[in-house]
Amino acid sequence: MIEVEGFRKTYGDHVAVHALDLTVAPGSVLGLVGPNGAGKTTTLRALAGILRPTSGTIRIAGIDLATDPVTAKARLAFIPDEPQLFDYLTVEEHLQFSARLYGVPDAAGRIAALLGELDLTDKRQALPGELSRGMKQKLAIGCGLLHQPQVLLLDEPLTGLDPVGIRRMKATISARARDGAAVILSSHLLHLVEELCTHLLVIRRGEAVAWGTIADIRAGHPELAGESLEALFLALTA
Amino acid sequence: MSGHPAPARALGYLYVRTAVNRGRQQLQRLRSPRYLVALALGATYLWWALIRNTQGVESPLPGLVTSDGFGTVASLLLLLSAARWWLFDADRGALAFTPAEVHFLFAAPVSRRTLILARLLRLQLAILANTVVLTVLLRAGAGNLAAWQRALALWTLFSTVAIHRLGAAIVRRSAATEGLVGVRRHGGALLVFGAMAIALGIGLFDAVAAGRAASAGGVRELVSVLVDALQAPLPAAALQPATWLLAPVTAAGRAPWGAAMVPALLLLLGHVAWVLRLDRGFEEAALEASRYRAERLLRLRSAQPGMQRSRRGALTAIPPLPVWGPPEMAIVWKNVAAALRGGSWRSQLLLMVGIMTVLGTVGIRMARGVDEAVYGMITVWAIMMLFLGPLWLRTDLRLDLPRLDQLKSLPIPGWRLVAAEIVTVTVLHSISVWTLLALPFVLALVDPAALAGRLPGAPLVVAAALGVPAINALQFTIHNGMALLFPAWVRLGAEPRGIEVLGQNLLTTGAATFVAAVALVFPVGVTALVLWLADAGEGWGLAAAVFAGSLLLLLELWPVLHWLGEHFETMDPREVAATG
Repeated sequence: MIEVEGFRKTYGDHVAVHALDLTVAPGSVLGLVGPNGAGKTTTLRALAGILRPTSGTIRIAGIDLATDPVTAKARLAFIPDEPQLFDYLTVEEHLQFSARLYGVPDAAGRIAALLGELDLTDKRQALPGELSRGMKQKLAIGCGLLHQPQVLLLDEPLTGLDPVGIRRMKATISARARDGAAVILSSHLLHLVEELCTHLLVIRRGEAVAWGTIADIRAGHPELAGESLEALFLALTA
Repeated sequence: MSGHPAPARALGYLYVRTAVNRGRQQLQRLRSPRYLVALALGATYLWWALIRNTQGVESPLPGLVTSDGFGTVASLLLLLSAARWWLFDADRGALAFTPAEVHFLFAAPVSRRTLILARLLRLQLAILANTVVLTVLLRAGAGNLAAWQRALALWTLFSTVAIHRLGAAIVRRSAATEGLVGVRRHGGALLVFGAMAIALGIGLFDAVAAGRAASAGGVRELVSVLVDALQAPLPAAALQPATWLLAPVTAAGRAPWGAAMVPALLLLLGHVAWVLRLDRGFEEAALEASRYRAERLLRLRSAQPGMQRSRRGALTAIPPLPVWGPPEMAIVWKNVAAALRGGSWRSQLLLMVGIMTVLGTVGIRMARGVDEAVYGMITVWAIMMLFLGPLWLRTDLRLDLPRLDQLKSLPIPGWRLVAAEIVTVTVLHSISVWTLLALPFVLALVDPAALAGRLPGAPLVVAAALGVPAINALQFTIHNGMALLFPAWVRLGAEPRGIEVLGQNLLTTGAATFVAAVALVFPVGVTALVLWLADAGEGWGLAAAVFAGSLLLLLELWPVLHWLGEHFETMDPREVAATG
């Protein structure tokens, strides 16, 4: 469960995100969409505990991120758009490292299963420099999924993946949601959002301009009935 | 391809705007009180250390520069550096362009000559900065030269060296990528350098023979023999270009400086002409070097440079991830892996042990007095390592900060993460220093009789064992603290080597030394007090005093770690991103 109340982030005079309220229930997948510079990454970073909100509260699985950040972070995974890996650890060592950080029980079994799920078993001894962009992305995602987070925050999760990887990743995200994780994914790929997400949050210049299920949002704009999500997005963010 | 004035103007625009915008960005940082106060303190310290404190005082550096034999030894070192660039392809960075430069310039209607010129102009930024710093350092007393004369001499030296590096890199890469065609194309340059290397080799061979005969006279005699051998006609001819370059810097007066500047400037012009003619093969070599640089930067953004796999493809083994202890153990383990696989720490340790063992063994066997010199070198080296170690070993926050997003999303309190980063390098560097200090005991095994009675006693060993980690903890805390507090002023992740970073390293080390001096006031006071109470300058009283001082130093660092951890937690990733 992700609960955000009155989240606001400013940089000097610049307001990156205005008062934002949202709730993502376990099992839900929220698509965070908006034009470049709308505040999507700022929002995700704040939800991951990387940025401190200027005001407002963020609760991850019921735990206040400001008052108990360590416990809250242990329940979430943040996967950035650009995989950030350690050049001197192999694929398997990255997973061991993550397992140790998050205190994953039965790490060996889970690592083996994840390597298979992500099609990285043959690359377990490879260093990041020996991996393609897509494989790096898979590894970053694997590190995030290892501790079975209750909250999953994904920033452009399909960047760099091949068609097979995209299909697997979509299946993985859906499976995590079915297992009870609350998922937020930021993406410019509106067909992906439409396919995976149960809810949609459209932000523009740091302000939420639409929030709810995709059907609800469509219902709120009868003039766009029958139009694609892209048309809806363009109308909302114009 | 002919040159176009428009691209040349575009390049000028690119570099001027880059410099202006970078300067403006740095000035904008001064809006933050933290940066403003740091600048004021740093400027005051540099003024005091480099100008006020040296007025009327004979600084040892200028004296060294103008001393007998310095020019010959410096020329030898310069030539050996050049040999490294020519023989071992060790300087691909000299050729490298940034990815943006490659993207925009290499596909644009820009002549090769203009590209080379652009590279030369860009090098000037670093050269000018280094010239200013060294001019200030050398200003007192050396040869009665005006500052502008010293600056011109240093600028000529640095510029020629930089152009030579660029030329060597082009020739070397061209030969490597085109084989015999490349070798033939640059036959003239290779022939000249080969002849110089042979002449120098003959001189060094003679020096070794003469050195054996003179070894009983100790180190000074050995150096004197080396200088004499290098001043013989053949090696002196090989060293002549380097000697011409260094002569204005080491000139003892205005008239000799004037005479020395003529050949130095001619050499500079000759280098410019040579490099501008090296246009064939330049693009391929530059593209290859740029690709290498980009990959290296990627590696450096997350790790240390170096080979992570052996030639046979085997990965350097690292200790298993500890299953005990708090999650921070994973950070410690990761950094140990970086130090072992990154190469710098391991190579440093092996090089140090190798050099000292060879010198010590040869010294003990060859000459009376040389072993004492080795003791002296070990001590000086250990002290240097204590203060310069953080510049060599950087597998800590300075390498990890470019991934601040990832670090901040970890379920570890800020101060404990900062502590884990600092503790790892402190322990690793302490192992290096301890190894160095243990060498006399190892050397004693070679010839116990020669070193009998001269080994340090148990109290001194215990004092060193206690004091070294405490000093290292202080040094690494300061350097990591500077990275956290002033990410825009500290080089994070990538760390280019060579003269380009000389000025920055001097300033960083100066600031760190100042902070360390302040932090050491109370611990040193307590150490002195305990020594006084114990009424002993040696023996176990010394060990007790160092223990007390070290303990106080670590207690001082405790609140600092918490404070840095708090800062880490509130730090905005944009602060780090802006430095990239």
